[in-house]
Amino acid sequence: MKAFWNFLGLLAIMILSLFLAVITGDYGPWYFAWLVGTTMIVLIAAAGAVMFEKQEEEQQGKKGSIH
Amino acid sequence: MSMMIDPTVVDLSRLQFALTALYHFLFVPLTLGMTFILATMETVYVITGKQIYKEMTQFWGKLFGINFALGVATGLTMEFEFGTNWSMYSHFVGDIFGTPLAIEGLMAFFMESTFVGVMFFGWDRISAKAHLVVTYLVALGSNLSALWILIANGFMQDPRGGTFDPNTMRMQFSNFVDLIFNVDAQAKFVHTSLAGFVTGSMFVMAVSAYYLLTKRHQDLARRSFRIATLFGVISSIGVVTLGDALGFIDVNAQPTKVAAMEAIWNTDRNTVSAPWNLIAFPSESQGRNLFEIGIPYVLTPLLTHTETRVIPGINQLVQDAKPRIVSGIQAMVALEAYNKDHADTQALAVFKANEKDMGFGFLAMQYAPDQDLKNINTTNLPSILDKTAKDTIPNVWVEFWAFRLMVASGFFMLGLFAFAAYYSLKNEMEKHPVLLKMALWSLPLPWIASEFGWITAENGRQPWTVYNWLPTFISASSHTIGYMAFSLVGFTLLYSSFIAAELYLMFKYARLGPTAHHGHDAAAAGGGMAGQPAFAKPSMDRK
Ligand code: HEM
Repeated sequence: MKAFWNFLGLLAIMILSLFLAVITGDYGPWYFAWLVGTTMIVLIAAAGAVMFEKQEEEQQGKKGSIH
Repeated sequence: MSMMIDPTVVDLSRLQFALTALYHFLFVPLTLGMTFILATMETVYVITGKQIYKEMTQFWGKLFGINFALGVATGLTMEFEFGTNWSMYSHFVGDIFGTPLAIEGLMAFFMESTFVGVMFFGWDRISAKAHLVVTYLVALGSNLSALWILIANGFMQDPRGGTFDPNTMRMQFSNFVDLIFNVDAQAKFVHTSLAGFVTGSMFVMAVSAYYLLTKRHQDLARRSFRIATLFGVISSIGVVTLGDALGFIDVNAQPTKVAAMEAIWNTDRNTVSAPWNLIAFPSESQGRNLFEIGIPYVLTPLLTHTETRVIPGINQLVQDAKPRIVSGIQAMVALEAYNKDHADTQALAVFKANEKDMGFGFLAMQYAPDQDLKNINTTNLPSILDKTAKDTIPNVWVEFWAFRLMVASGFFMLGLFAFAAYYSLKNEMEKHPVLLKMALWSLPLPWIASEFGWITAENGRQPWTVYNWLPTFISASSHTIGYMAFSLVGFTLLYSSFIAAELYLMFKYARLGPTAHHGHDAAAAGGGMAGQPAFAKPSMDRK
């Protein structure tokens, strides 16, 4: 049941995004760019943090194997 | 037909608006950017479940909260200023301008304020995912508030979506879609929002650099530094791109602003080799630059994205304005006749034929004998034309240098973020204390860039409040000089105390650091976690 609700939620987000993309893409190319750009900036910065954790783990691993 | 207001009152009204707007915009960009940075940190918390990202969100959130509260306070007073000090403006375009302003007010109050409350106080009351959604809504809400203000400003820069109604003597809505999808408004929104992202990134980067330099809160600082530099480097690229787009739009929409921004006096018909002025000392009285360093081949492609389009210089624009002033005078005289007698269809026809220039008629009013355009005749017309046409050009010196300072700060920050992100990605930031120091001391730059950005935008729009439609000097309210001087001093004192409070609280809480999380501090105080085995990292394992 939970999966179903998740699916519905994501579906709603997808439809909203498509709707926004079509409207802004047609009438407001810079608004569209802002939506896409901001999403990208947030995702890349978040990915940078996840990468940081990975690097930390690797470093710990290296340090660990020396001992 | 006299609508003249004492010039000193106009100047004081302008000074007051400029000061309050510039003060207000010391708070706004940090809110625009910090909200999305907080959302990013919280996203990582929800994805990885690592407690430190929650601590980061809460710590930076506290600093954001101080700024948010003071920003709202300075914004509120501004909205009233339109009514109190700019009543003629509000009357003329209130129908159009009031709508986005009202939507902004509603958004700020209901969306932002409600969700900000939940964001601060809801950590233990709602689930982590629900809280994340709320944080995103705060970020969206604050940026959407800015959107409506910039739509209103876009209308002032490049009026679309309204028509003048000779019966009511006001501008009226013709098309809401034209208003909100005005390309000037769009580009302004993205440029300004991204300027906010840059400001937020710089803030987080600088404070983190301070912690790294002083070897405090290093776990928090390293992670914050990573997020801030990546956020900053992409946002900076965006700001530059959109800045270029704004300039490009202005070539079409506001040629007087562009000519002043680049200190171009004479039209250069050799479009390919036309030089772009890196440095210039413009002299308005002499109509030329006393000194300039130009780089050939750059101007035309930079501004027009072509090799062939001619960019008109100031001296030509002044001449080009003259026929529009003549037509505008005819429009206004006919409008007055029509207003006396609505059966006068001939007057209406003359007005309609010259309507697009009516703003230039307004502009000529101050030089007409007794401020009545009907008193203009063939003898006094040439001198009135000369003076009015000169007035269509904004202050070149201010425009040129304000623009240069914004752009220089923009490129400097882009470079700084790029280096900082590079070394952060390699986890070598702490090996470069000079770069850390630069990151710390560059903290004021985004604010400087934004303030000069607004000076570029608004000084460049002069002599108009609504470009080519309504001159600034008739937009004001007819207060007494005493009243204006009194309220100016009052506002300056009030806003300065807000700034003092902000600086005091920000420095205090940034110095203190994330004190609430002692376990973490104790670990960080021991020289950071990098060299220690994983079990010594309580924050990393807690889920
Ligand atoms: C290379 C970089 C940049 C370029 C080419 C650029 C270009 C412009 C232009 C042409 C305007 C005037 C818009 C108008 O016609 O009214 C403007 C305004 C502005 N700029 Fe920039 N800019 C740059 C960097 C920055 C940076 C780094 C910031 C702040 C962090 C900033 C903040 C602003 C603000 C707040 C405004 C006023 C609002 C607006 O008109 O959008 N700019 N910019």
